[in-house]
Amino acid sequence: MSKQLQALEVNRRGALKVGIGALASLAVGETILLHPGEAAAQPARPPRRPNVRGTPKVPHNYKRARKITSVCLNCSTVCGIVGYVDNGKLIKIGGNPEDPNNGKMLCAKGQAGVVISTYPERLLYPLKRVGRRGQGTWRRITWEEAYADIAKRVRACIDAGHPEHVAIHIGRSRLADIMGRFLNAIGSPVLLNHRALCSLNKRAANYATIGDVDWESVDAERCKYLLNFGSNFYEAHQGAIHFLKRVIKGRYDNGCKLVTFDVRLSNTAGRSDEWHAPFPGTEGAVALALANTIVADGNFDRDFMTTWTNTTVDALSAFLKPYTPEWAEKLSGISAGDIRRIARAFIRERPRCAAFTNRGSHAHYNGFNNDRAVILLNALAGSINQPGGYCYAESAEIPDHLFPMPAPVPAAPKIRTDLEDPPEWPLANRWQKMRVGQIVYAYLKQKRARLQVYFTYTLASPTTWPEGRSLAVEVLRDEKLIPFHVCSDVVYSETAHYADLILPDATYLERWGLDARNNYELRTYATLRQPLVPPPAECVNFADVLIQVGKRLGPEVSRYFDFRNYEDFVRLRCRQLPKGDSADGFAYMKRHGVYHNTSEPRSYDLFKRPLTKAQLDGSRTDPQTGIISKRNARGVEEAIGITMNAQALRGFKTPSRKFEVHSQTVAQAAARVKIDDDGWPHYVPIPAHQNLPEDRFILTTFKWNVHTQGRTAPQKYLTEIVHDNPMWINAATARRLGIRTGDTVEVTTYRPRGRTFDPTGQRIGSARIRAFVTEGIHPRVFAVSNSLGHLFGGRSAAARRGPRAEGPGFDPKILSEDADLTTNLWWSQADGGKGAGFNVNAILPIQPAPITGMQAWFDTVCSIRKV
Amino acid sequence: MPRYAMALDLERCTGCHACSVACKVENQVPLGNFRTKVYYYDEGRFPQTRRLFLPVVCMQCADAPCLRACPNKAISRGNDLIVRIDQNACRGNGACEDACPYGAIYVDPQRNLADKCDFCSHRLEAGMEPACVETCPGGTIIFGDLNDPKSPISQFQATHRRELTVLKPEEKADPQVQYRGLTRELERKVPKGRNHDPRSYEIETWATLEASFDRPEGGSHE
Ligand code: SF4
Ligand code: SF4
Ligand code: SF4
Repeated sequence: MSKQLQALEVNRRGALKVGIGALASLAVGETILLHPGEAAAQPARPPRRPNVRGTPKVPHNYKRARKITSVCLNCSTVCGIVGYVDNGKLIKIGGNPEDPNNGKMLCAKGQAGVVISTYPERLLYPLKRVGRRGQGTWRRITWEEAYADIAKRVRACIDAGHPEHVAIHIGRSRLADIMGRFLNAIGSPVLLNHRALCSLNKRAANYATIGDVDWESVDAERCKYLLNFGSNFYEAHQGAIHFLKRVIKGRYDNGCKLVTFDVRLSNTAGRSDEWHAPFPGTEGAVALALANTIVADGNFDRDFMTTWTNTTVDALSAFLKPYTPEWAEKLSGISAGDIRRIARAFIRERPRCAAFTNRGSHAHYNGFNNDRAVILLNALAGSINQPGGYCYAESAEIPDHLFPMPAPVPAAPKIRTDLEDPPEWPLANRWQKMRVGQIVYAYLKQKRARLQVYFTYTLASPTTWPEGRSLAVEVLRDEKLIPFHVCSDVVYSETAHYADLILPDATYLERWGLDARNNYELRTYATLRQPLVPPPAECVNFADVLIQVGKRLGPEVSRYFDFRNYEDFVRLRCRQLPKGDSADGFAYMKRHGVYHNTSEPRSYDLFKRPLTKAQLDGSRTDPQTGIISKRNARGVEEAIGITMNAQALRGFKTPSRKFEVHSQTVAQAAARVKIDDDGWPHYVPIPAHQNLPEDRFILTTFKWNVHTQGRTAPQKYLTEIVHDNPMWINAATARRLGIRTGDTVEVTTYRPRGRTFDPTGQRIGSARIRAFVTEGIHPRVFAVSNSLGHLFGGRSAAARRGPRAEGPGFDPKILSEDADLTTNLWWSQADGGKGAGFNVNAILPIQPAPITGMQAWFDTVCSIRKV
Repeated sequence: MPRYAMALDLERCTGCHACSVACKVENQVPLGNFRTKVYYYDEGRFPQTRRLFLPVVCMQCADAPCLRACPNKAISRGNDLIVRIDQNACRGNGACEDACPYGAIYVDPQRNLADKCDFCSHRLEAGMEPACVETCPGGTIIFGDLNDPKSPISQFQATHRRELTVLKPEEKADPQVQYRGLTRELERKVPKGRNHDPRSYEIETWATLEASFDRPEGGSHE
């Protein structure tokens, strides 16, 4: 019996309501069936009605509207925004002119976010599962019941001496302060995240080489030559439009050249001065060959290389010797002539040139070294922290000294588990806790770790994880492996569907939080997210959920939650901030939305800054290495600088206090897992790509400029632009295989090989996808976008036009119906539209890269068949 | 009285759709209809492939076909050079949509009123820039008062006068919105006599120059 029929069965007995529409009238104790099919019958679009008087539209009234600053969270870029609120309704979002990164500019997602707080498919009340997990039957409960239930189960873990059986698993949350506090307070280290699915290798490469930050701020406005290895910053880079707007100025006001390496014609590649499509995962080979050319020519910043790197020119030159342009041409397909020409054009502009990366280069088996090789090019150019070069500010995080945690601060627990610290990937948690999120479900299934209480927040693992719809869903369904799953979400998502308790979340437009990222103005800064409108009905920010649960866990935990709510907590974090033109630091942040110390000099030459008297006080200098160290606040001896030409300077935050071309840290970590690695950024061949037969291809994925993983599909103006994702196939390849645009093809994927998870090379799965034939992709690569293929998330996400599936008592006073969803949604498949697209992650294998753990998203070997 | 004008510097466009989405939120534009839209065109053979973008707004024609076509005289051109639709005079018969050579007008299916870009007149009144101009990350859309020699548009025109062109000059509508760096063939993507086709957003259309697309079998939409 189908779910709908089942529902009707129960409904006749009067016990069950059906569909999101019924939520508003759901009384405490009543039961509801929620299912992905959130649209009923389809009325036709009204025809033109000539000569009928219309209903005038009332334009937004900006003279009356109240302006409130906040921060966008529709992607990871952290743009300052201004919300315009009129009559209690959020009418528009603009950029915050005071934000140093984006100013008044926002991308399409930032603009579209307005609709999320009034999306008719929002969750409004806490719901508790009745019936089987994944069946979709829910009973409305009170928040008090929800808190008590959660607290009881967390308490049981603490009492059993296993606080590590409580885990929080997040996507991009920006609530790390309170989540960390909650877990530390109860004694669990298991804060799981998605960094290994996102940016781990790039961050690790910056840490290993430069040490200070995980994210560079290329000074594009003043740059003359940008060498881009696999970043699609025109569409989706972290810090996208912050960087983009400066690149546009650099290119068109300052004559900067942009050269992009990408297997696919992204908007960035398509608008670059040169686009080169290397074979996937050979970016590092190209970078090493560029370095080889530069060193062989002898035109590079010899002074920086000698003084500030931990190697000699001779040793570097010996290391680079085998990596010739001819060698790189064989691997990458980029001609040796082009490599030499680009190397010389790049280095001619030194130090106003920069080479940088993102996922195209680092989301590979060998991505960590690919990125280290690219960063090396900046050292050769002497562009590290120079105007127009590869720059970084003191921090790319919320500066803790300005926003200290409210006392008492719980200490981090000493225990570790394989779930959050898998020993196979020793660098994953070396610099920051990046974890290896993609192995979580596998390890639970293998019983390498146990859980009792599993919180998920902004986590769309069934759709955005590799093997999401297979392994992730299998484990999420299993009540033995995950006995209690609490999901906080805005809409009835695929993750929520497999929960035991659903907590209706406040959207980013309705909640508090501090946020920051790398500041391209190269100074200290941070931003404040504040509610533009209150959350509807009973929606509650997940941060407040944790505070409420914390208060119910007995005195030894509740003492860390001695504030009213998360707003109070954020206010306390602002207590030391200069008050500026406002009553106090918190009031300042509420008024301006951003703290940006413009009196601070830009961080150019940061590594050459002398240490202050106070910093040197009580320090000691190692006579051999010149490294200056000192006991930190916790009493641990820590390097703080280096003596150069009899001057005590800050240096780099690496073990040698220098730019580390060669890394002892990496060599040691590799040795621990019995991987042969001498610590140089060698090119590592991808095992599964060696001797690839003619009929095997590489399947890659990508993001759109209008979507962020799974979470933007409910926003109608974005999904109107992109709702479908056929598979890109190179025109020549398609001709050879007899495939045309619109044909259905069956793509079959295979597991990886080498030092990774389940490296068998075995078939993993097949999917039928429509083909899109294009001149914009490498002949051996197929590409399917992520972010689509939703079954859940309401009508916009799932491409279903029609009225909201109704139960009794739909209450337009809370969230009114939207004619766009009932009538105008034109991509509905039932109407002949393209539908909601494909979810390709289901057939992508879990493949953490050796030593670091970054998901090698872009390595998957596949075959194809026309059907 | 200011005299408003706009120019789009296409080399700066990133194809980000922020202008188009900002406009829809600002002006409550229903799904499937557009005041502002961004076209994509992939040209060349692998690996010499390039992507071009063309953002399109209402051209605020000095000799506007929409204005001439309206039987209810609901459309007028102000002294500020903006072509506007009077919501109280409009009767939704759509002659203006049929007449516009630039796909710029739609008839709102729920309100039964024609609607189009008016440079966000209500924002101008509040001392703000049009929504697309404010948000554009490329600084592609240049706008301002021609009477003010310091306005961005006056300065842009002064610097680039000889490089500026208009869309479809053969329509003789005397468009007031100008382009820099226009690749002529992209004009063909902009429909005549109907509002922008939502399906021309779909990825399959990136390498074609067609302006509208047939709805596949199974449609009960119209
Ligand atoms: S770039 Fe990201 S943070 Fe900025 S406006 Fe767009 S979605 Fe929001
Ligand atoms: S572009 Fe179309 S809508 Fe705009 S003024 Fe010209 S004819 Fe009228
Ligand atoms: S907002 Fe600007 S950059 Fe983006 S598509 Fe529109 S015109 Fe182009």
